[in-house]
Amino acid sequence: MQSRHFCLALLLTVCGFSAHADPLRVIAHDSFDLSKPVLADFEKQTGIKVELIKAGDAGQMLNKLILTRANPIADVVFGIDNTLVGRAAQAGIIDPYTPKAGAKPVRFTLPNGVVSVDYGYVTLNLDKAWFAKSKLPLPKRLDDLTLPAYRNLLVVENPATSSTGLAFLLSTIRAMGEERAFQFWARLRQNGLKVSNGWSQAYYTEFTRNGGARPIVLSYATSPAAEVFYSKQKLNAAPTDNLLLPGAVFQQVEGIALIKGGHERAAAAKFIEFMRSDAVQKDLQTKMWMYPVVSGTPQAAVFGLVREPVQHQTPSAAEIQKNAPAWVKRWIRVVLK
Amino acid sequence: MGHGPLRQRLLLIAPLVLLLALVVLPLGCLLLEGVGGLRLDFFNDPYLRWRLIWSLLQASVSCVLALLLGLPVAWVLARFEFPGRALLVKFLLLPFVMPTLVGAIGVLALFGPHGVMGVNLQDTPWLLLYGNLFFNLPLLIRVALDGFAQTPADRLAAARTLGASPWRVFLRIELPAALPGLCSALCLIFLYCFSGFGLALVLGGQRYATVEVEIYTLVANEMNFSDASALALTAFVLSASCALLYTWFERSITRSRSGQGKVRVPARGWLQRGMLLIALLIVLGFSLAPLCAIVWRALGTGSSAWAVLLDSDTLKALANTARFTGLSLLGALVFGLTHAFALRRSLWFRSLSFLPYAASPVCVAFGLLLLYPGLSASLVLLLGAYTLFAYPFVARSVGAALDAIPACLPDAARSLGATPWRTSLRVLLPLVAPALRRGMAFAAATALGEFAVTLFLSRPEWTTLTTLIYQHMGRPGEMNLDAAMVLSCVLMLLALAAFAVIEWPESQRGGDA
Amino acid sequence: MLELKQVCKRFGARLVADQLSLRLDAGEILALLGPSGCGKSTLLKMIAGLENPDSGQLLFAERDLAGCPPEARHFALMFQEYALFPHLNVLDNVMFGLVERQVKATERQQRAREALDALGLADYAARAVGSLSGGEAQRVALARALVTQPRLLLLDEPFSSLDAHLRQGLQQEFRQHLKQQGISALWVTHDRQEAFVMADRVALLHQGRIEQLSTPAQLLAAPANPWVARFIGFDNVSQLGVVPDAAFQFGPEQPLARIEAMMLQAEGVRLSVKIADQCYTLHLSTREARQLGDQLVPGACIGLGIDAHALIHFPDQEG
Repeated sequence: MQSRHFCLALLLTVCGFSAHADPLRVIAHDSFDLSKPVLADFEKQTGIKVELIKAGDAGQMLNKLILTRANPIADVVFGIDNTLVGRAAQAGIIDPYTPKAGAKPVRFTLPNGVVSVDYGYVTLNLDKAWFAKSKLPLPKRLDDLTLPAYRNLLVVENPATSSTGLAFLLSTIRAMGEERAFQFWARLRQNGLKVSNGWSQAYYTEFTRNGGARPIVLSYATSPAAEVFYSKQKLNAAPTDNLLLPGAVFQQVEGIALIKGGHERAAAAKFIEFMRSDAVQKDLQTKMWMYPVVSGTPQAAVFGLVREPVQHQTPSAAEIQKNAPAWVKRWIRVVLK
Repeated sequence: MGHGPLRQRLLLIAPLVLLLALVVLPLGCLLLEGVGGLRLDFFNDPYLRWRLIWSLLQASVSCVLALLLGLPVAWVLARFEFPGRALLVKFLLLPFVMPTLVGAIGVLALFGPHGVMGVNLQDTPWLLLYGNLFFNLPLLIRVALDGFAQTPADRLAAARTLGASPWRVFLRIELPAALPGLCSALCLIFLYCFSGFGLALVLGGQRYATVEVEIYTLVANEMNFSDASALALTAFVLSASCALLYTWFERSITRSRSGQGKVRVPARGWLQRGMLLIALLIVLGFSLAPLCAIVWRALGTGSSAWAVLLDSDTLKALANTARFTGLSLLGALVFGLTHAFALRRSLWFRSLSFLPYAASPVCVAFGLLLLYPGLSASLVLLLGAYTLFAYPFVARSVGAALDAIPACLPDAARSLGATPWRTSLRVLLPLVAPALRRGMAFAAATALGEFAVTLFLSRPEWTTLTTLIYQHMGRPGEMNLDAAMVLSCVLMLLALAAFAVIEWPESQRGGDA
Repeated sequence: MLELKQVCKRFGARLVADQLSLRLDAGEILALLGPSGCGKSTLLKMIAGLENPDSGQLLFAERDLAGCPPEARHFALMFQEYALFPHLNVLDNVMFGLVERQVKATERQQRAREALDALGLADYAARAVGSLSGGEAQRVALARALVTQPRLLLLDEPFSSLDAHLRQGLQQEFRQHLKQQGISALWVTHDRQEAFVMADRVALLHQGRIEQLSTPAQLLAAPANPWVARFIGFDNVSQLGVVPDAAFQFGPEQPLARIEAMMLQAEGVRLSVKIADQCYTLHLSTREARQLGDQLVPGACIGLGIDAHALIHFPDQEG
């Protein structure tokens, strides 16, 4: 019996070490999504096989890349946004890439050779039905959320584990300055703030629209549009709305980059160009619920139902890179203890 | 010991190199980083203080609860005979073999959101405590059972004739006899609860996670190596002291063979039957209910959830699990045998193999990450870590069996013309074969449930069944939770298979009585 | 054949061999007799090669055994606990040594069966080792040892685990068998009866030294020192010599001796007497006791003297 075990183990080893096929390894956060036909089209036209690796939250994904930079686990990374780009560049995992000249102009760019693909806004969403029923007036300023009238109504994500949560923290600091911002957070905590690990848990479990107890959730400006898109019945208006309070809107620009030390450089470059192509820019609106960065892309119809924020409070990428870790640590002490 | 001591010393090299490269050096690296990261105000941080205090608190409370619940059960099992008793005692070993993730999911299936019991205990400390009891209550019961069963019947009878009531007999005779074993078991339970990772990660939530989870979060989410290593240093010091205390207790246990234990009798009367019932309920409620809940939930899901088994991700994860378990079994075989054969009758050397457990999987994995940054996410390191945690079971099992072989057998073989190698092959190995089987099954169970190391050191293409389950749990939606339940069922079945191999009755070979 | 020259060995605090020298001739059975725990087993293990002496030489057929591993010495060992391999049946046990010596399969089967046959165990070939009685197990062990045609057989108290009546039968059988095959044997025991029955010569081992090495008859006739005398079983041992039973003479012409105590035993009577203020012990057979009859009463006086010619004197200590 022992010799049989031995042979089996040996066989399994051999199978494990069999030659890797040569697909293009694309690592992305869990929210990455593209229509199958669009992706299949790319694969057919270029002959490149795309292997998609989902690696959790964007921050965790970046950490994994940094930890494994000696032997990279992917060739191309999608999901480096303005909160992470500084750290990614500093860790030396990015191979700068400039898109081909002559392409359409883009609304926003990212530094350090990361190619921007989409942008969005992190802001508060509210459940219209709940507010209509409770007849509570909507908050007008951020500070209103610390009033007793709005006790136990807010759920946000933990900036340490969620990029959405981090975005909100950054915008409050940008709007109020560090000291006042943390006083605000302390008061929020006393007013019954709920913290969840990630956006999915906050939105799908804690939000009143999905059976939870909190009618105000930290989410994206396009989430109300998604609600209309995915609802089973036909809706004329969005059931949720953006609560665009000053100090509570963060502009997130997301991009794709070559990973230093990755293989398949030519294929990777083609994939990056593909992400800026019309097909993807149109598709990502209703798949990833972000705005396309390439000017002139036709906007998805359902986006007309939501207000695109005009103001936002977003620190610069350099500022974020310098201060974010300390701010997050302080937030944990102030809010979670 | 004139059997070529040099040859035996040569065998020492393999396990010592493994321990040095994968435990001692990484832990040293970790401690150095930790000392560097320790600031004066480190422990003034209330957040970290709370984490540390809670880790110690939950471990202590789990110990106390295990004692309070386990003693009556052990006494009932030691004194009463009832149909199915032998089977029940055998199944007490089951939670020990179960992967931590399966246990955590079982607890969630019972008391989590959408739990079977209907009450949602998420974000309370009770989830974690219940999970701790699931794994550790059977351990205490078995140790106490041994202690009670071995107390000589004459001693008990003498106490009764001297005027002690049954309760006083228990208090003054039975309990002190079982005490040394209980102390060492409590040390072990404290160690498991304090340095456990999987349970705390899944069941702890935001407030009630332990230090180990904090270390992982600091590394995976914030890449804050200095804080993480300072915390790891503290955790290591605490768990190492606990491990030392455990070995000290183990040594002071005298296994007395004086006199027969008391014979078991069927329960009579309402009081005794009541006690029996309560004991059975405790065992079932704490150690079998979570597993049943998983099966119940998994069976209750629709066919779409069961379709996850045919998912390409799942198949890849299954293949990876099979691969890694197979390879680490190979490593466990090689290192376990060399470790056991290298230094016979040396108890301290044999316990050296459990060094990685005196630290914690998180500390070891983190240390490996610090020491071999170029190798993080390489198959060699991952499998090395798997082997590290799996082989001690083989070493201990085979070592104990080797000790039990009378010295005259290898002497006789030598005098009949067998070289030391032939003696080991023809006499020693066949005689330790049952122990080897059991040790390998334990090693397989450990490799199946490996979680912390995989989280730290793995690449996305090496997802195993455990990490796949964890991924499903991290995503929202009923579908993912159902998929997690189904996959946990599969993992549970694999662990059950390992358990069956361990407990398989030994066949009569050559008629050893 | 076997020669030990000035062998020394210390085992922890105990001196197991102290400048020990010994000679064993071909075809001879030599008994190593000594109290339990005096290191006889260690001596055997040294000869077998399982232990190394601290100093001294071990020679066999004039060749030094140092550096020769146990499996190359062709000495077979027999143990008190039989040491049969539990995972093999009787036949496989007996064939074990033949497998190691690379004897062909058919030949070794045949030789093994012959060996079992010679000891009356022909039907036991397929039996499991655990089902054998003590005597059967020890015979299987002998078969296993002898089938390899050893140059020397080393036996370590092979019968001490067996019942007394079984022992006597086996002793005769083994001695007969060994003598028939002409095998030299070194027999370690703490039972003097066994030594006297089995051995051609007996060596008395005490604290690492050989007190006396001679035939059983010579031992009984002329013990070398008080320790030897007492170990052999003599009473009335003094520094100068022994008063054997044969030296006591009853009769009215003898001086009067006082009977201090009298103990009835299965084989006769044991008397404690005082002759001229000296205490002695002597044994009477049942016949002799009946002859003396009423005179044997504790406290009474009886004519009892010592024949000076029958005394055994120890040889000079300085010699």
